[in-house]
Amino acid sequence: MAVEVNLGAQPQKGHVLAAWGLIGWRWIWRSPAAAIVPLLQPFFFLYFLHLISDPSYFPLQVAGAMIFSTQNIGSWCLSDSAVFRIELRLQDIFVASPHDKVRYLFGVAFSNIIPALPALVALGIILAMVTSVSLTAWLVIVACILIIWVLYSAIGIAVSSRLRSQREVWPVGNLIFTLLGILSPLYYPLSRLPPVWRELAQLLPATYAALLVQGSLGLEPATAGGLALDAGLLILSTAIGLALAWWLYQWRER
Amino acid sequence: MAFGLRWGGTGVFLATEIRVQFHEWLAIVTGTLTPGALLIFVAVLAPQLIAVTLIGSLVYSMFLIGQRVRIDHKLNELYHASPLSPEAYFVGIAGGMLVAYLPPSLFVLAILEILHPLSILAWLVLAACLLAVWAVSSTIGYVVSTLFKDMKTIWPYSALLTNLFGIVPPVFYPIRFVPTEWRSVVLLLPTSGAAVLVNGVAGLETISGNEAILAAAALALESVVMFVFGIYWARRMARER
Repeated sequence: MAVEVNLGAQPQKGHVLAAWGLIGWRWIWRSPAAAIVPLLQPFFFLYFLHLISDPSYFPLQVAGAMIFSTQNIGSWCLSDSAVFRIELRLQDIFVASPHDKVRYLFGVAFSNIIPALPALVALGIILAMVTSVSLTAWLVIVACILIIWVLYSAIGIAVSSRLRSQREVWPVGNLIFTLLGILSPLYYPLSRLPPVWRELAQLLPATYAALLVQGSLGLEPATAGGLALDAGLLILSTAIGLALAWWLYQWRER
Repeated sequence: MAFGLRWGGTGVFLATEIRVQFHEWLAIVTGTLTPGALLIFVAVLAPQLIAVTLIGSLVYSMFLIGQRVRIDHKLNELYHASPLSPEAYFVGIAGGMLVAYLPPSLFVLAILEILHPLSILAWLVLAACLLAVWAVSSTIGYVVSTLFKDMKTIWPYSALLTNLFGIVPPVFYPIRFVPTEWRSVVLLLPTSGAAVLVNGVAGLETISGNEAILAAAALALESVVMFVFGIYWARRMARER
């Protein structure tokens, strides 16, 4: 029997983020490998890049690994929200609850940044060991990480809302996030890319995040005007990306 | 049970598995992304290593194919309840993955042939090494999959295995980058042993005769032992159902 419930009269606030944070922590606690692998993943790439490339690129690659790890949170969000919706039917419960879709989006994103934090902290420590990082540079790095986290989590959750089966999760997530990760110049300077690829990379927010971080660390030549332009383009491309994710996102089943 | 009966149905199951896998064309395409990313890193940062990386990409892809055996494993119980023998199930599923995921590797092979043509001997060594890596990896993928009940728990272990076997040892990069004291150890690993052997025969790396014998013997032994173990494990799984 359907019961009319005035959702507006129900509590709308509470310890929602803390609860979602707990979900992220519980996953690590129950599956230690799940905590170790995301921590190791960027280091495997860094190890490989360290062997094959000019050692002078190493600080740039460590900074790139921080952005790459943040981007990957989007892939985990995609996987989690797909499991919640398709396998556990948990999203139906959230839809029926006073927990609105924005809080749900942030909740999933927040629970997924928890397993990534140890890797980000470790990479930050390595970065401080291999190059000098000013306070401004730290602020730029943190701001870029937060922007990329919000954007790529939104993309992951929006895409997951359109998936129909669990089997689509891995290939679709891999396709989107690996391609985005390769196209942006996170592990090398933008100038090393061929012209067409460079132009394509300039459409992606992570490219501007990388340019801002590389410029603020003094790893690539950059002027104040150039950095301001990169920041503006990062915000603009993020706004466009979020608008697209919002348009794509399906909260209720039709 | 007679030997022939044990393998009865392998061909049909193999054909079914190939058809099933070809429906997952997106998974086949996206399976090329990680080796593709590493190839791009090398093309941008160290283009002189591209031929070694292409061979590494073939070896890595073959290892990845074996790891995919886990994905179809949810049907395990259904098949074990059927008249299909456990060995036919294991060989069919591993073989089906191999055939379905081969086209991207053929594309990489074509690029390799353009950039660094291989001799007939190198082709033979490459084919033998890739089959050996597939045998080892299929068994690892199958056995690991039987130890877990849900896909989310398997993922980190699978990612760890592919990184430890594919990215860390000299699969995508030459063995000369590895410190001397570690060379014997990496030659014992199926992936790096295979890559080093093919690179050596293709004239991309210099390895001593002893190193070649060590890598070849280790790879041959591992592939036979692991594949036999895979069949044993499939029988054990069938008995437990």
